[in-house]
Amino acid sequence: MGKILHIIKKEFIQVRRDRGMLMILFVAPILQLLLLGFVISSEVHNIRTVICDLDNSSTSRLLVERIRNSGYFDLAFFDTRQNHLHDYLDNGRAVVAVVIPADFSTRLQRGEPAGLQVLMDGQDSNTSTIALGYINGILQSEIMDQIEGKLQGSEAAAEVHLISPNLRVWYNEELKNSDYMVPGIVVFLLTMVTTLVAAMGLVREREIGTLEQLLVAPLHKHELLIGKLVPFAVLGLIEVVFALCVAKLIYDIPIAGNLGLLFIFTLVYLFTTLGLGLFISASSGTQQQAMFLTLFILMFFMLMSGFLFPIENMPRVMQGISLLNPMRYFVLVIREIFIKSATVRHLYPQGLALLIFGGVVFSFAVLRFQSRMK
Amino acid sequence: MRSRIYAILRKEFIHILRDPRSLVIVFLLPILMVLLYGHAITFDIRDIRLGLLDQDRTPAARELVEGLVSSDYFRLTGVLQSREEIGEAFLHRRMVAVLIIPQGFAAALGSRPQSEVQVIIDGSNANTATVAMNYLKAYFVTRSLQLNAQVMRTPIELQPRVWYNPDLKSVNFIVPGLVAVILMLICALLTSVTVARERETGTMEQILVSPVRSLEIIAGKTLPYILLGLLDGIVVVVFAWLWFGVPFRGEPLWLLGYALIFIYTCLSFGIFVSARVPNQQMALMMTMVSTLLPAILLSGFIFPLASMPKLLQLLSYIVPAKYFLVIIRSIMLKGIAGPLLWQPALFLVLFGTLLILISVKRFKINLEG
Repeated sequence: MGKILHIIKKEFIQVRRDRGMLMILFVAPILQLLLLGFVISSEVHNIRTVICDLDNSSTSRLLVERIRNSGYFDLAFFDTRQNHLHDYLDNGRAVVAVVIPADFSTRLQRGEPAGLQVLMDGQDSNTSTIALGYINGILQSEIMDQIEGKLQGSEAAAEVHLISPNLRVWYNEELKNSDYMVPGIVVFLLTMVTTLVAAMGLVREREIGTLEQLLVAPLHKHELLIGKLVPFAVLGLIEVVFALCVAKLIYDIPIAGNLGLLFIFTLVYLFTTLGLGLFISASSGTQQQAMFLTLFILMFFMLMSGFLFPIENMPRVMQGISLLNPMRYFVLVIREIFIKSATVRHLYPQGLALLIFGGVVFSFAVLRFQSRMK
Repeated sequence: MRSRIYAILRKEFIHILRDPRSLVIVFLLPILMVLLYGHAITFDIRDIRLGLLDQDRTPAARELVEGLVSSDYFRLTGVLQSREEIGEAFLHRRMVAVLIIPQGFAAALGSRPQSEVQVIIDGSNANTATVAMNYLKAYFVTRSLQLNAQVMRTPIELQPRVWYNPDLKSVNFIVPGLVAVILMLICALLTSVTVARERETGTMEQILVSPVRSLEIIAGKTLPYILLGLLDGIVVVVFAWLWFGVPFRGEPLWLLGYALIFIYTCLSFGIFVSARVPNQQMALMMTMVSTLLPAILLSGFIFPLASMPKLLQLLSYIVPAKYFLVIIRSIMLKGIAGPLLWQPALFLVLFGTLLILISVKRFKINLEG
């Protein structure tokens, strides 16, 4: 036990002495958390738009105003030369072009359907779909207004029956995206930092030759292992506490659920990330190899955990593969605890999955480490 | 001077070839990543889990639900008996939205101008919730128009036309983006160890006391990796093109040229980090921590830069992937002529050169100090 403490002490001294390391472990992740929480929003704003109003009537101008007032579009250009619209999209100055045909208002007055042309740069299929949805919404309210205006006082009004939905949002009434994303970033940063230090820690000692010195010291291998990993786990926990404070102070995310429960889940999760790091460390010949493997695993964690892209939207096969992603369970756990104050009763499948992952990955890593040390 | 650069270059090549495992990783990893994420990342939100609480139980109510569920957007995953069950259903994530059709819905539909239905949405994922809300709003408007087809007609028709990616396939957007992001990460990691390794193993002093100039060291250390990165880039682009059928409308040679510039910039970043840290571990960790999230979140790879706060938009100017993303998408999807993309390319050149110059200066200081 005393020996383990010595190793732990050595690791802590090493980290503390290394100011660059502290930068990497704390300053860089927290800085990123500070900034990146603002990146991800469910709304698309400032869609650069060119308006081609060939009608130029009060009706068409009203429609343009509606588009402007929606707040989603940046009406950057007005150009009535229809054959020039191509250029705006080609060189990326605009991504949407709205063409109001010359007979727009006259057709509407005659009661004939009028067409509204929308050209869009479809490269970013997400933004295009959302933009199209916005325009559709603007048109629909325009249509409803027109119909209501026409029907007012007329006999037909009695015949009209509309379905009006009453929409209510629970848990996150203002639909603040940061409530959902920031806990995800916290999880990713924890994953990145702990996997990284564990992956680099041992392979480095081997590459620069100090591992032999440790191996000839009167220590059991498990003592060496525990002594090496405990400081990393402590670092990870400190990191989480830091990150949560930032999340609360800057993004004002709700922490509705039980923090103790989250703490237990975090501990279980750390077995997986540290185990993975250890495994990478034991399997790589050089630090660069270890880093490439870490990059691969972190990308997998980030992109297939539901952190950035909901898993439900993926093709079936990919959903199956994502079951092998431990971060998937932890991201869900932290969000459910924070936003919906979920309890063990709702989260035990995830807890079980994390326990299994932690156990399997960690034992594998230890076996691998021991066989490599011989 | 040429022979001195050549000597360093050869030495670096030997380093690369001596570690075949890293070499395999450098070529295999990107392909594996493009394969996985090209398939996994989609923006389409479909099959939103919908719960139903039908207190009316009339044909009109059933029709309303059927119209909703028969679309691709919603999937009925549960029928509730009372409002009290909604909370538990959300907590077990059985449903994201619940449609409540109150008693008297059908009766109101026949007699009153408005008949109300209620929808409760689990807002914890704001994105899915927003999309679900918009789908639902649009559905009820369409439904209202259908119900009153005799009296009201849709006066304005939306005629959308989509260019460059008419089917709005997200794979065409994602895969070229992945190429840029992966190249940036791999290239930066590749060179970040080169200088730090020499420093750690003590061979840096040997090089420094030799008559090689610092610019020559940097050049000799960068060039082999430019070649490696370029090969890597070609393999990944060809794979993306063959496997995913991403259109390639522009000139491949221009893309190759711009890729060369992009790789140069990313390698310079690795060198830049390498020149300021004492060992490989720091170099690698610094590079990883400073590139991974920004390359993905701040480059326009997924999240449009135009929607971000001004400060973040400014920060994105120092993410090299941002420029190459514009280039590769414009050439592959839009078929833009190469020369038109000089602006992002020029920036990449300037940025890369600046990083190299700073690194060279750093060397000189080392040499004198």
